[in-house]
Amino acid sequence: MTQRATVPMILALLVTTMGFATLIFVQEAASPPLIYGAYYAGTLFVLYLGVRLLLPHSDVLLLPIVTMLTGIGLVMIFRLTYEIEGFQSLATTQAVWILVGSGAMLFVVIFFRNYTRLFNYKYLLVIAAFGLILLTFSPLGYEVNGARLWVDLGPVNFQPSEFARIALTIFFAGYLADKREVMAATSRAFMGIQIPAIKYFGPVALVWAGSLGLLIFEKDLGSSLLFFAVPLLMLYVATGRIAYVILGSLLFAFGALFTYLLFDHVQVRVESWLDPWEDPNNTGFQILQSIFNIADGGLIGTGLGAGFSQTIPEVHTDFIFSTIASELGLVGGTAVILAFLIFTYRGTKIALLAGDDGSKLLAFGLTAMFALQTLVIIGGVTKAIPLTGITLPFVSYGGSSVVGSFILAGLLLVISERSGRREAGKPLTGRAR
Amino acid sequence: MNVHVLRSFYLFTAGFVALVGMLIYWQVYSRESLANNPNNGLQTRRSVEAPRGLIFAGDGETVLARSEGRETSGGTVYDRIYPEGEAFSNVVGYWSIRYGASGIEIAQNSNLSGVSSDPATLDELINQFRGGRQPGSNVTLTLDPELQRIAYDSLGQTVTGRGSAMAIDPKTGEILALVTYPSYEPNDIDDNFPELIEDPAAPLLNRATQSLYPPGSTFKLITSSAALKAGVEPSDEFFDPGFLDFPGFRVTNYQGKDYGELTFAEALAFSVNVIFAKIAIQEVGPQLLYETARDFGYGDPYDDFPLPVTSSDLGYTVEQWVDGNTAQIAFGQDRVSSNVFEMSLVTATVANNGVMMEPRLVREVRSPDGIIIDRPAPSIRRRSLDAGTAGTLNEMMQGVITTGQLTAAEVPGVQVAGKTGTAEDPPREPHSWFVSFAPADDPEIAVAVMVENGGEISPEGDADTPAIPIAQDMMEAYLKRDAR
Repeated sequence: MTQRATVPMILALLVTTMGFATLIFVQEAASPPLIYGAYYAGTLFVLYLGVRLLLPHSDVLLLPIVTMLTGIGLVMIFRLTYEIEGFQSLATTQAVWILVGSGAMLFVVIFFRNYTRLFNYKYLLVIAAFGLILLTFSPLGYEVNGARLWVDLGPVNFQPSEFARIALTIFFAGYLADKREVMAATSRAFMGIQIPAIKYFGPVALVWAGSLGLLIFEKDLGSSLLFFAVPLLMLYVATGRIAYVILGSLLFAFGALFTYLLFDHVQVRVESWLDPWEDPNNTGFQILQSIFNIADGGLIGTGLGAGFSQTIPEVHTDFIFSTIASELGLVGGTAVILAFLIFTYRGTKIALLAGDDGSKLLAFGLTAMFALQTLVIIGGVTKAIPLTGITLPFVSYGGSSVVGSFILAGLLLVISERSGRREAGKPLTGRAR
Repeated sequence: MNVHVLRSFYLFTAGFVALVGMLIYWQVYSRESLANNPNNGLQTRRSVEAPRGLIFAGDGETVLARSEGRETSGGTVYDRIYPEGEAFSNVVGYWSIRYGASGIEIAQNSNLSGVSSDPATLDELINQFRGGRQPGSNVTLTLDPELQRIAYDSLGQTVTGRGSAMAIDPKTGEILALVTYPSYEPNDIDDNFPELIEDPAAPLLNRATQSLYPPGSTFKLITSSAALKAGVEPSDEFFDPGFLDFPGFRVTNYQGKDYGELTFAEALAFSVNVIFAKIAIQEVGPQLLYETARDFGYGDPYDDFPLPVTSSDLGYTVEQWVDGNTAQIAFGQDRVSSNVFEMSLVTATVANNGVMMEPRLVREVRSPDGIIIDRPAPSIRRRSLDAGTAGTLNEMMQGVITTGQLTAAEVPGVQVAGKTGTAEDPPREPHSWFVSFAPADDPEIAVAVMVENGGEISPEGDADTPAIPIAQDMMEAYLKRDAR
């Protein structure tokens, strides 16, 4: 019995349509080429139908949520840029990236249905991930706003870390699935905390520290945080030992202090978080503009197109949530947060239902990455935590981020298909498709 | 493993809940304080991007302020236009991006401003959901545009060209005119502000509410109230030898006259300082005089009034007075200070049987689509006198016009009650004051006019009284139109 979620899918597309209609008819925005809207709606609906057809037992709600989030992102990017000289094409560019992301997801769905094979190549994936990150230090890499995260590949520029972290999550899932029992069983105590054997823990620590180190030198604080926390949580789930979390948190505290003392840009971030009023027109400017705009929204928002969030630097990427909260208010902002929570919930459910350890850890790792990324950036723009430059999955402008998020969702879909089939009594057999 | 997956999920959920908490903190709890933060430029940006509401005069037709759209590269920007200009600018105020705002423009800003205000009607709410540019609400004032112009033009024609006037409906507390001269052109405020602030004539100062002057003999209304409360009858006789001596100085009458034997009512009609000083010391006493002045609003703050008001003052606490002070306070000199705002309220209170109504400038606020958002009802501010005492004083004030032969104050076909004042302001010429109400038997308008240093002394020793004809013009114009 194939599950369907056609109604949520249509609702998600309607939300997007309504957003554009509001901007075009009420705000008198110049209409973007309608053909892009058609592409967008068509692409996601075909993607939905394709996934239902190819993976009839996969999770039904993931794609409607993805559709809604990308749609809201598209509306907001259009709203923020349609009247800004030189940026008018940003929304159409984003629509193209969504198309590319959908293609990537379809690719995953078709060719990686037997994703467990990826675990066999886990060391290769680590090398690929490191290679990707190292690319930014090659002549192809370049800096934006003081962080060296970009690679110029002729026609396209991309942020390798968006893809590297998916590769590393697969590595950790594969490795921990193999070694989790020996790692959990080892007992050597140090100051009351049980220390795992270096032999098994070594590769994990090495990959972990290596990727983290590279990212810190890239000055990519947001990604560093994810690269740190996601493996830690996976380790916790794999071994069931809270000791890892405690140890990790201590390491984090030291690491944070270390980076704070060592790097100016970290100090600036922390200080502008603690007291943005100190220098409201310079270091505190971005976060204060974000807060002013969020507060301006109030309960139900200023109305789509009526806010002033263009005063926030980088609003269409990292700060896109400030626009949502400003123009759609507490009601709209909470709704979007709930959409992220539902995605996290479906991801968690996929992890819970997954049959084997590798699948479970992979689904959990991807979900944790998604959830933490959301928490870190929304927490950052609402001044709950210091700001770290990172995108809001599916919503923010940015090709690498959109494509990466689609791949993440695609992997969750194939994992859910496997457990869905098992429950339906039609398990995938062996390595055959 | 599932237990740990679930635990992590709960952790994430807690994180998401915390984010919603953060939103509530910013969008509900700290919203107001952030909106008013000086570093927050959003309100100013909004103010030019959405049309502000209209400000109407009391006739509901005369537009005192409107917003006019202008196309710029960044979209429509709204400029503020004041069609009636200077005569109303002390009340209406100005709205400048550069220099802030004043008057009704700032006092009613939450109603006048567009999108920033919370929606007050369903239409506004829907409009806000649709994201439309929401024009501000319209504010109708109580001002009578004709009276305002008469007073403004007349004050401009006085010798000094400095003065103020206020007219009020004694029964409702609606302010019919509130004028100060000189005033300023509100339409060019962005260009002229630096000059205006330097101008020695202080055109930005609202003389009617913010300045303080000695009220002179108009204060005798308060002294008379106190005397009536103390049991003095209008027919009681007093003797005026022409002077009254105190250590260091002598109280004399205006123009050094001596009136001899006079009734209390006649003493008010001829404004005999010596008798008032005697009554204040012998019959009233400092405590009762002080309390009566307080009852009439001396020392009251007017925090809810839309314009800044400086409280009138007796200059001393009652414990500091000696007889010499009492004598001079009795006729509004020494350190007594007041303005037409307070003195018109005193007059209106006598007119309204001793009941002081809350003075109001805003009659109603309507949303752009005509729904009433606010329409304050007349309310009682104070009960200053009992009705009997007020009635007696009303008659005595009519005597000021009839017995005192103040023909300049008479309105054809209507009995007027009033009191003059020539307040010494050495070394300059005295201020000319006049307070009045009419018709005396059923008052519809109370007026206070003051011309700064307008009481020029003629070679014969008579002080000029330019305040009287101005008040008379205002009363006549108002009552005549009423009769029509």
